[in-house]
Amino acid sequence: MILTQQLILGVLVGALYGLAAAGLSLTFGVLRVLNVAHGELLMLGGYGTFWLFTLWQIDPFLSLLYVAPAMFVLGLLLYGALFQFVVQANEEVRIKNSLLIGFGLTLILHTLAIHFWTADERAVTTSYGGAVVRIGVFAVPLIRLASLVFAFAILTALHLFLAKTRWGRAIRATAEDWEAAALMGIPVGKTYLVAFALGTVLAGISPSIGLEWTLKALIVVVLAGLGSLFGSFAGGILLGLAEATSVAFLGGPYREVMGLILFLIILVLRPQGLFGERG
Amino acid sequence: MLEVKNLEVAYGALTALHGVSLTIQPGEMVALVGPNGAGKSTLLKTIAGLLVPRAGAILWEGKRLSAVPPQRIVERGVALVPEGRRLFARMTVRENLELGAFTRRAQTERRAQIERVHAIFPRLFEREGQLAGSLSGGEQQMLALGRALMGLPRLLLLDEPSLGLAPRIVESIFSVLAELHREGMSLFVVEQNVHAVLHLARRAYILEGGRIVGEGEGQKLLQDDHVRAAYLGPLARGATS
Amino acid sequence: MKLFLGGILLAVGFAALPLFTQRNDFLNLGVQIFLAVALAQSWNLLGGYAGQITLGHAAFFGLGALVTRTLWVGGAPLFLALPAGALVATAFGVLIGAPAFRLRGAYFAIGTLALAEILRITVGNLMPQISTIPAAALASYSIIPRYYLTFALSVFCVAVVALLVRSRIGLGIQAVREDEAAAEASGVGAFGHKLLALAISTALVGLTGGAFAYYHVSYYPQHTFSPTWTFDAVLIAFIGGVGTIHGPVLGALFFVLLREVLAVRWVDLHLLIFGVLFVLIVLFLPGGLVGAWDTTRRLIGRLTRQR
Repeated sequence: MILTQQLILGVLVGALYGLAAAGLSLTFGVLRVLNVAHGELLMLGGYGTFWLFTLWQIDPFLSLLYVAPAMFVLGLLLYGALFQFVVQANEEVRIKNSLLIGFGLTLILHTLAIHFWTADERAVTTSYGGAVVRIGVFAVPLIRLASLVFAFAILTALHLFLAKTRWGRAIRATAEDWEAAALMGIPVGKTYLVAFALGTVLAGISPSIGLEWTLKALIVVVLAGLGSLFGSFAGGILLGLAEATSVAFLGGPYREVMGLILFLIILVLRPQGLFGERG
Repeated sequence: MLEVKNLEVAYGALTALHGVSLTIQPGEMVALVGPNGAGKSTLLKTIAGLLVPRAGAILWEGKRLSAVPPQRIVERGVALVPEGRRLFARMTVRENLELGAFTRRAQTERRAQIERVHAIFPRLFEREGQLAGSLSGGEQQMLALGRALMGLPRLLLLDEPSLGLAPRIVESIFSVLAELHREGMSLFVVEQNVHAVLHLARRAYILEGGRIVGEGEGQKLLQDDHVRAAYLGPLARGATS
Repeated sequence: MKLFLGGILLAVGFAALPLFTQRNDFLNLGVQIFLAVALAQSWNLLGGYAGQITLGHAAFFGLGALVTRTLWVGGAPLFLALPAGALVATAFGVLIGAPAFRLRGAYFAIGTLALAEILRITVGNLMPQISTIPAAALASYSIIPRYYLTFALSVFCVAVVALLVRSRIGLGIQAVREDEAAAEASGVGAFGHKLLALAISTALVGLTGGAFAYYHVSYYPQHTFSPTWTFDAVLIAFIGGVGTIHGPVLGALFFVLLREVLAVRWVDLHLLIFGVLFVLIVLFLPGGLVGAWDTTRRLIGRLTRQR
């Protein structure tokens, strides 16, 4: 009973992990850049939502309309200032450098955030915050359910963008073979820019619960393998389930451990991730 | 008209092309032959903008083409069908074709051009929804060619179109090229399969060790002793790069 | 040669410091510097010379600290507790080495980070109480032996790495870093060399953890497994000049001193500065401060020669 309840919560949280990781998956898949500052971007988005709610009582779900464009601009700036230099190297160096740069960026953003906003955790409590939906005998928090629907909607929108639009195709083509893409007339630099900014937007609009999500997002992306958006969604859910199982059997304090161990096992047995191709 | 003047291209410390000069008149079909490692691909890649020359210049229709990014070169009417096709294997045939028409200029004629490509390559039309990676070698080459045509090029560069293909398919590819030529397109074809290309190309250049060592009429070169000794015969036919 | 002499001078200076001052804050600063040198140099061997960017360094620091602390507080003499800690750290390192090296690049980095986190969480749950030096030892606590122990440790780390990279094995390790396939083809066993670098690196950082356990009066055991130790090591090594001997030393000096100076105003400002420096170095100055200094010297040399 408790296990099932935990598992349901695990799926719900996992969907959010998946969404949080989607932005990382996009930049990793297209630019082959591993932006480990992604967690800080999640945090920034969270802060944006928090301040809009605290200062102007804007509902967290609506505030995304403001946060998203702001994050897009931030993404453009980050790419222009930093990551455009990283993509000039070959793939292996690129990944290594982006790891390091992301690390440096994390340090910078984290220190700035702590200095200006102190280290307290912030929470957003809305009027419907505590509402619970009953499905059979299980209680599901309304917000989590809404977030799941939200995550799914965003990912579907993203998928449609990538599949049906001219720029979406350009991004996919560039991800596969940037030289061939350039030969089609696709401006590779601009494509990278858009993809990176999109990834940043995704980070900003993910409802993150807590601040230490970078490792989780990384785990999900690596777990799922390169480039598959729905793969990272599935990976997120898998992580959520692993954590739920961990909580059910080992108790709260060991929440992360199961997920980490699962991650390591999969990594060693199947280095390209669950859904990735051999790259 | 394409003019290449004293082009010098290097990979780091290694010079791949030394003072290469050639011209391609509008509506001409010119071939580039030579042994492995001569620098033929390097030359095409440089014209297409994937490489930046260390010295020399490339002029297209009177204006400079060297050191222009590849996406702008496509807009100006020069398209490359790269060695090994470089298709987007995880995307469908249709998507590959649509990507070929990415530039604004080509977007306006997208629908019409897809019809034209399908008319030239009916097999592609049958396989529209298939992933490009699942096509046979010949179909992939057709798709690569069709994709390049979607960009509405006036000069088509081809790097080893016959690579890895059965003779019958090579024939059909080349007959398509001949047809395009008849309709007025300029073609610059790099080929190991000297036999197939020299029959069609009015002119040809010979590239060896990064230098142009010979030039002449296609048919005449087929008779040339040097060319015969170096390139014709079982060693030259169908050799892979 | 000049560098070597400079290093000797520095070492002598630090060794003699306690003769001139008994001020605790100076001596503590010294300990911090020595620990930082050892931490960064041990990482530098694996991350810089062997080219295996690892983010699990803290795991071995923590293991060394844990074993040494437990044994020493339990009554064992330090000269046994310290090597025991290093031994455990190395054993663990070698154990995970085989599966770990199947991962490449980013996967290796993230995998080692995950591993360190698993240890940290587990230790934090199994030993949540703070660990304090027992009253008897506390009464007789003196900074001087700690000072000299960590000093000796830092010199030892620098010496080990310096000698190793000049040896035939060391060249092999660097060959593997440059091009694993080519190294294999020339008869250099890639896995063996990487494993050796890992073993020595973990041994050194295990000793460092043990030294920390001997030095720090009270701390939470899980703190020694915190990724902060890894990140400090990476920062110092890169900013000083990764893949050089003197890089981590200079980086450590710079890091600790800057932290001290800035701590008065803005507690984590040194991290901000280091973050920016780090990014700049990764993008534009891969040789770190050492590299920048070399380039500047060469530029000055060229300018003065042209006169």
